[in-house]
Amino acid sequence: MQLDRLFGYRYWKAFLEPEIWVFLLTGLQATLTIAVAAIALSLVFGTLLALARLGRLPLLHYPAVLYIEVIRALPVLFLIFFFFFGGARGFSVAGVRVSWTDPIVAAIVALTAYTSAVNAEIVRAGILSIEKGQLEAARALGLPYIQMMRLVVLPQALRRMVPPLVSQFITLVKDTSLAYVIGTHELLNKAKILYSGFETGPIQALFVAALIYLTINYSLSRFSRRFEVRPGEELRAEIAAEAGTVAPVPAKG
Amino acid sequence: MERVIANLPLLLSGFHTTLQLAAGALVLALLLGTLVALLRVSPFRVLRVAGAAYVEFLRNTPLLVHMFFWVFGLPFLGITLPEFVGALLGLAFYTSAFVAEAVRAGILSVSRGQIEAARSLGLSYAQTMRWVVLPQAFAITVPPLGNLAIALTKNTSVASAVLVAELMYQAEVVNARTFATYETFGVTGALYLALTLPLGWLVSRLERRLTRYRSA
Repeated sequence: MQLDRLFGYRYWKAFLEPEIWVFLLTGLQATLTIAVAAIALSLVFGTLLALARLGRLPLLHYPAVLYIEVIRALPVLFLIFFFFFGGARGFSVAGVRVSWTDPIVAAIVALTAYTSAVNAEIVRAGILSIEKGQLEAARALGLPYIQMMRLVVLPQALRRMVPPLVSQFITLVKDTSLAYVIGTHELLNKAKILYSGFETGPIQALFVAALIYLTINYSLSRFSRRFEVRPGEELRAEIAAEAGTVAPVPAKG
Repeated sequence: MERVIANLPLLLSGFHTTLQLAAGALVLALLLGTLVALLRVSPFRVLRVAGAAYVEFLRNTPLLVHMFFWVFGLPFLGITLPEFVGALLGLAFYTSAFVAEAVRAGILSVSRGQIEAARSLGLSYAQTMRWVVLPQAFAITVPPLGNLAIALTKNTSVASAVLVAELMYQAEVVNARTFATYETFGVTGALYLALTLPLGWLVSRLERRLTRYRSA
């Protein structure tokens, strides 16, 4: 055991140089690019999937159920590899051939595909948590389905969806590190390059990277706590986010 | 497809390693997580703070960072573990933070009156935990723990990044050998689904059964 290496100055001193931080922060930039793109896209596709699943059109309902149940039961890393190798060979989407070789694109596609499936269930649970009386009232007022959703259901459901959605985004930020395996120059990869070149010790570089992830995710969870979360709800949301399942939304009252 | 079928034994050997990794990490995560949960509800502030710091650090940092620490970090201190053991420890410690939160929520759900009753009967703190609180806490904790078992099963795939020859690793090998990407990933995905879908079904059944007689 060489515990002295843990605190040895020479293994830490690289962090006194600004260039090292610039190097790490360009990695953070890639991490955030992947995370923000996947968050934005998965909110859109997740909502569309939820509406498709809630709707009564069999042509939309069953494909949505199949997609959601299969995708969220698969490991994220599996999807990252699949969309990396698959993207290089190309997919045909509605007769149009699409392909990509950039690992950042593959990571965004994979994380969007996965998070959309989970978000769909969060949005669905949020919509189902709205009392039946409100829907009946909206109908009685003659609001068409789209307007009822936009004006009555979604604004209320949205507030209840925030804590589970934020838990999911914390999971997503952590999962961006998996893009390391396809050669993306995100934060974890940069940390690995630092210690592989003996600029710092491996434990030191990993610890600093961990602290950066911790700062982002801890701020996210602080933000989510502002939404009057009931005791236990945050925990359930978090564990569900980890598993890719959805905690049941408690009935009001 | 024939080439993928010819490589099926490789995928199945990976599947076997995945199962071992998941089972080992799950047992260790449950043990560690329960210990940390006990820290978090202990009467001593120092222990509570230590428990909270452990949970916040582990659950807010990526699993891959933890695996790198056990597999590439420890040799720097003169301790070299086999990759399988390092990956298992990384996965177990990471998951233990979530287990701790689930068990703690279970413990807090047992009413104070019961604890006071046990203490006034002359049971020690440890005995109160062992005989009164934990058995009841676990009933409430089962559904979230089931969800964590699913998460852990999916997360075993991350071990491929530290060169453990589990299912995901072997899928990459077969993909590189055959160039049959869709077939290889189809078979691999089916193997993962064979684990996670039945587990998910079981957990949602349990969840419904355990909450049937309880008001929220």
